[in-house]
Amino acid sequence: VTTRSAPPIAVLVEVLSWVNKFVGGPGTGEIALTEEVERGATVRAVLRQVTDRHPELERALWDPDRPRELGDNIEVMVNNAVLGVSHDLDSELLNGDRITLLGQYMGGAWWDA
Amino acid sequence: MAHAGVVTATEERTAPALPGGYAGRLLRVDLGSGRTWSEPWAPEDMRVYLGGAGLGAKVLWEEVPPEAHWDHPENRLVLATGPFAGLPVWGTGGLTVVTRGAMTDGATSTQANGFFGANLKVSGYDAIVIQGQAPAWVYLYVHGDQVELRDATGLLGKDTWETQDALNAELGYSGHMLSVYSIGPAGENLVRFAAIQGDYGHVASKNGVGAVMGKKRLKAVAIVRGTRAIRAADPRGVIAAADEIAYDLKTNPAARTLYEYGTLPGVVNLHGLGALPIKNYTTSVAPPGVDMKQWEAPALRNGFDHRGHQCSACGMHHCHMQVLPSGKYKGQIVDEPEYEGWSGAGWTIGLTDPVAVSWLNTQIDRACVDVNEFGWLCGWVMECQEKGYITERDLGFRLTWGDAEGANRLLQMINRREGMGDLLAEGVKIAAERRGGPAAECAIYTGKNASPRGHDHRARWDELLDTCTGSTGTLETGPPVFPTELGLPARINPFDPDQVARQVAALNGRRHFEDSLGACIFTTRTHVELLARALSAATGWEWTRDEAMRFGRRVGAIFRAFNLRCGIGTDREWPSKRYGSVPVDGPAQGQAIEKHWDHMLDVWYEGMGYDRRTGRPKPETLEALGLGWMIPAVWGQEAARK
Repeated sequence: VTTRSAPPIAVLVEVLSWVNKFVGGPGTGEIALTEEVERGATVRAVLRQVTDRHPELERALWDPDRPRELGDNIEVMVNNAVLGVSHDLDSELLNGDRITLLGQYMGGAWWDA
Repeated sequence: MAHAGVVTATEERTAPALPGGYAGRLLRVDLGSGRTWSEPWAPEDMRVYLGGAGLGAKVLWEEVPPEAHWDHPENRLVLATGPFAGLPVWGTGGLTVVTRGAMTDGATSTQANGFFGANLKVSGYDAIVIQGQAPAWVYLYVHGDQVELRDATGLLGKDTWETQDALNAELGYSGHMLSVYSIGPAGENLVRFAAIQGDYGHVASKNGVGAVMGKKRLKAVAIVRGTRAIRAADPRGVIAAADEIAYDLKTNPAARTLYEYGTLPGVVNLHGLGALPIKNYTTSVAPPGVDMKQWEAPALRNGFDHRGHQCSACGMHHCHMQVLPSGKYKGQIVDEPEYEGWSGAGWTIGLTDPVAVSWLNTQIDRACVDVNEFGWLCGWVMECQEKGYITERDLGFRLTWGDAEGANRLLQMINRREGMGDLLAEGVKIAAERRGGPAAECAIYTGKNASPRGHDHRARWDELLDTCTGSTGTLETGPPVFPTELGLPARINPFDPDQVARQVAALNGRRHFEDSLGACIFTTRTHVELLARALSAATGWEWTRDEAMRFGRRVGAIFRAFNLRCGIGTDREWPSKRYGSVPVDGPAQGQAIEKHWDHMLDVWYEGMGYDRRTGRPKPETLEALGLGWMIPAVWGQEAARK
């Protein structure tokens, strides 16, 4: 008897603007990575798969003191909504879902310079 | 025995030692009598109030009674530095302006940078405290101990850049030897959201500080760079801490974007989050045909011939001047807009040509109004014209989305209070309320009349709550910066009312601490721990992260008590209908803050330690902040006895 495992799914990871410097990009525009993962993979698993290949992004994305948690620096969106709205790190993804990594924005909030 | 006015050697010996980082004197100016004098301030007050916002809060509380509204001669205009000013910590040339502002008629703390603060400190002063109203227009000239009020008649009508040009020529200075902060025509004509601008492009913009200066008939303050030394308690420690801060700014993944491009990345980032305000909040999505790649930070910078325009002691690649590369004004030198310039002079009014935005932004700075309030006002007029709520006849011309020349025409009408510009000069809240009808429902404002910052806060509930509850006419807490340092989560669900309100309350204080240091709000985008270390080295006092946060909350409580004394209470803590509306598209589509509003206020008040009903800081909160002496004034003698 042969068992056929479920086919993998593809999740698009968009790395925008200055964040894409951490995956070898120019720090502008968009770098799109198509991640093939097992069905049922979580947001965390996909992000881990990406950061395992890109150590600079790993340092920037995850909390150095609590490696299971995201750090202060990069905003994560799933299908155009920030984490916490429809997905959290342990939510399962579907084929064709889209994760976006965007720089946290700390400036411009109180001074016109 | 000492004679009056003569300081004896004995007195000098017994005078308390001045902590490092301070000049030790305040420059007092009474415009009504024309008198100027210097006044020492006590080291124990420096320890409690530091400088900047803290010192300003003390002056407001002690010297501005409730009946002295923003336009009263007894209102104070405080231009303050802090203990970092003039030291080699990055971005320490700025000033914090504190006054009772024209927009909210309550407290204001708003900062700008450049060289003013450093020039003032090395002239021997920690702050200038201005009172009274001049009988005729003057400017204040400071050259060390030579302090004069001079006739400013010849400067009237000049914009802020022209004013600085004229004073440089008149006084014979160039470069950064003379720092000039002035008002433009808007301030002269008491436009309620007029600002104070200096050193070609740096603006203290919030809460109508330029109108306060205009009411005092003070056109400008010009300070020649002084020659006095500034002592640090531990010079090596200051340099080491400054290096650590610089390293953090250059290498930390979050701060690095500020280091490289200042606030330019904001446009694309905030658009991605649905927080870029587009066409007066009528959409959160860039219109078809707009290539967001041209709004990336490198494209915005490199799309212009540009030069660094660094502030005193700053190594950031932040402030720049640029040359307009095309169009009617090709070749003009302008100030590279901050994020809020791109939004207020651009996206908010449907203008998406970067060259046109850059030009308009500098016109706004030169006329000298708050770019955020101008954006809300201009966007409101554009939408109202589109919908027929304000006719061409009402305004005198047709103003449509994205019309840069038309926006400038509107700006000049407001500056001179011509035609409908007289009403619009009151700001969008008053203009909309007077206009009434459906037009009023399109306006973006708060119950206190604090101008929202240049974001779509319907996607940033933290800043919406902060803007409505804050006591300074702008954000009081600001966005989270390294919240994990304070034991808070790295991120929260931005649409969870509990998480948002708890976080805004928990982070309150950091901003006031930063604004009391004499340092730029962007070079303090580092860890509080490092700032506390630098402050300890500068002053010789022991500062910790916890002490820094407690200090900031102390300042916030004074501002709140001041506002309550002025009659600004909890009944004004709400967003206008449009400001609190539900986004119709984009990443925040469907997120409705209104139904959570009362609960968010409950949580925020609890977190702040303020009384929910009256808005007052609770007695135990005042005690914990070292403000027990305020309890009788805030709660009455009986409460104090309990």
